[in-house]
Amino acid sequence: MSAPVGAIPVNRYSRAVWRRNALVWRRLIGPSLATNVLDPLIFLFAFGYGLGAVVDQVGGLSYLSFVVPGMMCYAAMFAASFESTISTYARFSMQRTWDAILATPVTLTELMLGEMSWAATKGVFSSACVIAVGWVWGGIGSPWGAAAALPVLALGAVCFASCGLVVTALAKSWDIFAYFFTFWVTPMFMFSGTFFEVARFPWFVQAIAWVLPMTHLIAVVRPLAAGTALDPLATAGHLSFLAALAVAAFAFARARFGARLLG
Amino acid sequence: MEGDIAAARPVIAVEALEKRYGEVEAVRGVSFSIWPGTCVGLLGPNGAGKTTIMRMIMALAQPTAGRLRLFGEAPSALGRAMRERVGLVPQDDNLDPDLSVQQNLEVYGRYFGRPTPEIAERVPKLLGFMQLAERADAQVMQLSGGMKRRLIIARALIADPELIILDEPTTGLDPQARVLIWRRLVDLRREGKTLLLTTHYMDEAQRLCDRIIIIDGGKVLDEGSPQELIDRHTRAYVVEIAKPLPAGFSEDGLERNDIGDAVLYYASAPEDVTNRLPPHATYLTRNANLEDVFLRLTGHTLRQGE
Repeated sequence: MSAPVGAIPVNRYSRAVWRRNALVWRRLIGPSLATNVLDPLIFLFAFGYGLGAVVDQVGGLSYLSFVVPGMMCYAAMFAASFESTISTYARFSMQRTWDAILATPVTLTELMLGEMSWAATKGVFSSACVIAVGWVWGGIGSPWGAAAALPVLALGAVCFASCGLVVTALAKSWDIFAYFFTFWVTPMFMFSGTFFEVARFPWFVQAIAWVLPMTHLIAVVRPLAAGTALDPLATAGHLSFLAALAVAAFAFARARFGARLLG
Repeated sequence: MEGDIAAARPVIAVEALEKRYGEVEAVRGVSFSIWPGTCVGLLGPNGAGKTTIMRMIMALAQPTAGRLRLFGEAPSALGRAMRERVGLVPQDDNLDPDLSVQQNLEVYGRYFGRPTPEIAERVPKLLGFMQLAERADAQVMQLSGGMKRRLIIARALIADPELIILDEPTTGLDPQARVLIWRRLVDLRREGKTLLLTTHYMDEAQRLCDRIIIIDGGKVLDEGSPQELIDRHTRAYVVEIAKPLPAGFSEDGLERNDIGDAVLYYASAPEDVTNRLPPHATYLTRNANLEDVFLRLTGHTLRQGE
């Protein structure tokens, strides 16, 4: 099987973990496809008619062209974050699937890579659904640019999935995930430029926003999908931020899981 | 057999092994060797340290002190090569609840890095061997406890391991389900597999194991074949007399163990005890077993606290 979109091309052991999750998901492909297409439709309908009617232009784009790239990023962020936390924690703690896997030749790092790449795959899948819906709706300025954004979204999804694993590695119960959504997912939804320009916020909110990976992802994906100019230096900076955070988060999660599972 | 080192190397060699979790000393200086093609039982009550020893053998826990060799190497050094040669049957059911019976085996085969054709060939054989062929498409949730346990054993055999480690393989199962599993474990031993199992059932240990290592409180109390242990620590017969003991009954010179509502007396012949009893006194007499060995060694029973 070829390496899937969004998966880091790793070895057969981490791919075995990825395939396990894909096999389970295959049964749910119908409902999954439906929600992934319906969600952005509902958003577009509400925001397009609601805010779009009031707001004429944002940052030189029509509101629709502004909000669709934001939703592409949000879809990747939410799906990758959910899969790497709630779903992964269920396999790790409740179902004891991780225990079973760790008794096989699969190493902890490979197991985590498999989980992380699967979460990233789901993120990219969600993004692709938004691109399709947004394109039909007329909110994609550059279809080629949107396609070129997919690898960037994959990097973002890898980053979100790795950050999610950090929380899963620290989780002693389900409670921590409530904080995760309140203090991580929601701020990225509200302050990272999904629906409003980051520059409109007071300086301290902007300072927080630029610590969040979502802000950097949107800063690259929006010009790509809208077909506007990209600043090469800034783009390199945003991508480096995402890559560095992904590596740091994954390494931290690996150390925590190692202490927990192999002590 | 221990003297025959030139002929074979132990599959597992453990020397003065210790494991502490904070203040808790789970394993306190354990030594034993397990030779190829044998079935060895770690017999002890819950909390004796059996599972911790197994986790250290599987490199899922790191020893605090002592030496542990698996196939002649430290498990952590062997890494993937070691796991390819060992099948683990854990105590808890950790079958994949999202997959069918057959998928559980197929997916596990991939964790072992086995190629697809090999998995496709092996899965039906294992389902047949563990008598699960008719339930191949069932979801794990629909299986009985005995079937789940059989599937976990089939799963451990997916990569044809040399060593099979079984943690309490029949705990919680009804007698029929246990017998079926015992038969398969005997088959595996006949095939030349090395088996290490933990149990707190003396009948299981007596039936399956060539050698038994008795563990309590994180220490090895004794080891040997079931018969050796019985000969060494108890007499051939046990006479159990319920309390209150009959009036005029003299215990002088008898080996005894008070088990609460009754007293056990050990003797080479039942008459050594029963002759001392007044007429019409009620008693129970049976052959001594590993449970008695354990009681003699520790002063408490195997299933205490259950």
